Amino acid sequence: MTGTKQKTQKTQPAQVESLDEFRARARAWLAKAEPPEVPLDLDARFAVLRQWQKTLFEAGWVGIAWSKQAGGQGLTHLHQLVFVEELVRARAPQPIGLIGLEVVGPSIDRYGSDWQRGELLPRLLSGDDIWCQGFSEPNAGSDLASLRTRAVVDGDDFVVSGQKVWTSWAHKAQWCALLVRTDTSVRKQAGISYLLVDMTSPGVTTRPIEQMTGDREFCEVFFDEVRVPRRNLLGGLNDGWSIATYTLGSERAGATLRRRVECEVALEDALTQLRRHRANGASGSAEADRHAQVAIGRCHVALRVLDAQTRQTTARLLADAGPTPVDSVDKLLLNEIEQIVFAEIAGLLGPLRAVPGSRPRGLRADRWVREHLYSRAASIYGGTSQIQRNIIAERLLGLPRG
Amino acid sequence: MADNDQDSPRYDAAVDEYLTHAYQGDRRRELLQGRCWDPGFAAELANLGWYALAVPESAGGLGAPLSELGPIFVQLGRHLAVGPLLENILLPALLQRSGAAEPAPAVAAAVETGVPLALVDPGVTEEWAADFGSLRLTGQALTGTVNAVRFAQHASLLVVVADTGTGSAVCLVDSTEPGVGIEGLDSADPTTTFARVAFDGVRADRVVGPEAELGTRIRSWARILIACELSGIAQRSVEHTVAYLGQREQFGRPIGSFQAVKHIAADMHARSAGLHNLCLAALADADRASVTDLDLLAATAKAHAAEAAVRVCEDAVQLHGGMGFTTESEVSWYYQRALALRGWYGDETELQRRIGAALVERDSSADDGRNVFDPERQT
Repeated sequence: MTGTKQKTQKTQPAQVESLDEFRARARAWLAKAEPPEVPLDLDARFAVLRQWQKTLFEAGWVGIAWSKQAGGQGLTHLHQLVFVEELVRARAPQPIGLIGLEVVGPSIDRYGSDWQRGELLPRLLSGDDIWCQGFSEPNAGSDLASLRTRAVVDGDDFVVSGQKVWTSWAHKAQWCALLVRTDTSVRKQAGISYLLVDMTSPGVTTRPIEQMTGDREFCEVFFDEVRVPRRNLLGGLNDGWSIATYTLGSERAGATLRRRVECEVALEDALTQLRRHRANGASGSAEADRHAQVAIGRCHVALRVLDAQTRQTTARLLADAGPTPVDSVDKLLLNEIEQIVFAEIAGLLGPLRAVPGSRPRGLRADRWVREHLYSRAASIYGGTSQIQRNIIAERLLGLPRG
Repeated sequence: MADNDQDSPRYDAAVDEYLTHAYQGDRRRELLQGRCWDPGFAAELANLGWYALAVPESAGGLGAPLSELGPIFVQLGRHLAVGPLLENILLPALLQRSGAAEPAPAVAAAVETGVPLALVDPGVTEEWAADFGSLRLTGQALTGTVNAVRFAQHASLLVVVADTGTGSAVCLVDSTEPGVGIEGLDSADPTTTFARVAFDGVRADRVVGPEAELGTRIRSWARILIACELSGIAQRSVEHTVAYLGQREQFGRPIGSFQAVKHIAADMHARSAGLHNLCLAALADADRASVTDLDLLAATAKAHAAEAAVRVCEDAVQLHGGMGFTTESEVSWYYQRALALRGWYGDETELQRRIGAALVERDSSADDGRNVFDPERQT
């Protein structure tokens, strides 16, 4: 998250609650808060997680690093990270509106008009409005800038037509942050605008897509001559690309750090299950034990690499350094490490991975299969590993563009 | 970065600068392609005070914390310096700290003149123990053989880690002691000579350090510093390769402009950066770690270094094409050194198994309360 925090940090450093106090307060609150079980059913899950966001918001745990003017708590990114860590350690879910909280909200805060900030941010924080992000298209994935969804000015409105895809929670969202083409006569990056679209507008339809994990929060979204008022344009006309790349970049560091904690806690949970199984007197062959030891050791080593790598990420985030090509090194390592961790744990299920209710070596097959499959998305979303390698090679190593 | 405060001297920069000027061209090539060892070079480093860096001031050293040796070993790896390095830099520092009643004159001589110490330790490997050898200390009698000891044929003093039946002991044995057999061997490590060392009931009366701890600490610090050396090897392999990719042209353009090549280079960089950061983090935590924690973090660093550095070197060979396969190109030397270090004090599989066994055995309460986002750990 961006601009406003800098102000907060510089003007009131002495008044900021210490991290230790903050952590103790968060831990005490979470111990009493009774975090919800997350249902598998999509509608039920959405309802539960939305209520959880409202509960968090009312207790002052949402928008921790947002400025107070924007409705946040005016604390630092490190406070935000501490809270994320405490949530994960309490085995509590994240709030449902992460896209709004981590990506769209900071963009509106930084680039938005007074009307947009005043009208949209409070409901975004509270979870009353859930936001989705309409960026990718069927023919604009890694090459996002080639997107073709069109917006044409007509009186006081834009008229939007086109199709988006991989739009999480689009069928449940009230608002969509939408990238549209508003000028076809210029370089592809220079003709893109960023619109804030009410999902109840006539002409918007959504269709969920089932993922290999069984989840269905991804959607296709179709726009058929949807009218969007001009005041819903974020930033200037044709400024969309720079807004999107800035906020996608700043999201990356925070997302890396959150995912890292989730991976650490996952390994702790797997270890707990393995130990409990042993403590109950179950014993395998020496070869089976050795297999498990190597797998767990490999996960531990991988996570220590991620720990070491992200010590500097945290420092950069605190210094509000903004996006750098080094974020791509973090992302590439995170992808690889996340996939190592879940592949190793799921590998301990053996043939019983195909039987979700089984507990080989004490490990819950359904959970680890799901986590393993989800880890395969890591090297695709948020910029594929191939895109990260291009960035590293060209911007960090200075190799010539192809 | 974690390692250097602005007011602490940058030993690693001085090491880099000296080796850049004094260890290059024909001299370096001749050493790396045959001799592996040069008393003159070792004496130069002694004169520069490199072996005294982490020796306590009370014993005539510079008194740097052991963690400050890490960045130096990164540079030694980058330049592919010939040894004895671990032996002459680490061992005097640990021995002089161990509270041994009288520091052996040979330890001081190694620091001052560069005459090698040798570390005779069957603990270099667990998985190949049957082939590598073993040592037993019974009373004061030392018996057994270690089949690969670095620099032993040039050493005046052997630092021996022996099994006592209840743990391990570290003893100092003169190489000329009756019953000590040292037989030089061929070496496939460009920076190291090897010998087989046998003890036939040798009288070992100089036993130092509280029983198990010194042996464990030697092995832990050896793992950390070898990881740093491998990190330097990886760094230099990336540097060489990126420079080459910008120069070498095929199909009318630099090969670094081809995506298939670029992506390998990006992976090399990410792997090398990840390894370097892991080493810095291990060093930042090492000085104040308990013996048990030190053992775990050292095994972790070495496990990753063994895997990551070898992969970086393999990619460097691949991207140098036919040249990478020849001894004319430095990348082949770096690769052979990385392969030699990979299994020294544990390759990735051996160490992963050790780490995993320790974690599965451990009481789960040890995991609680460890805060990831702690301001103390961010620098």
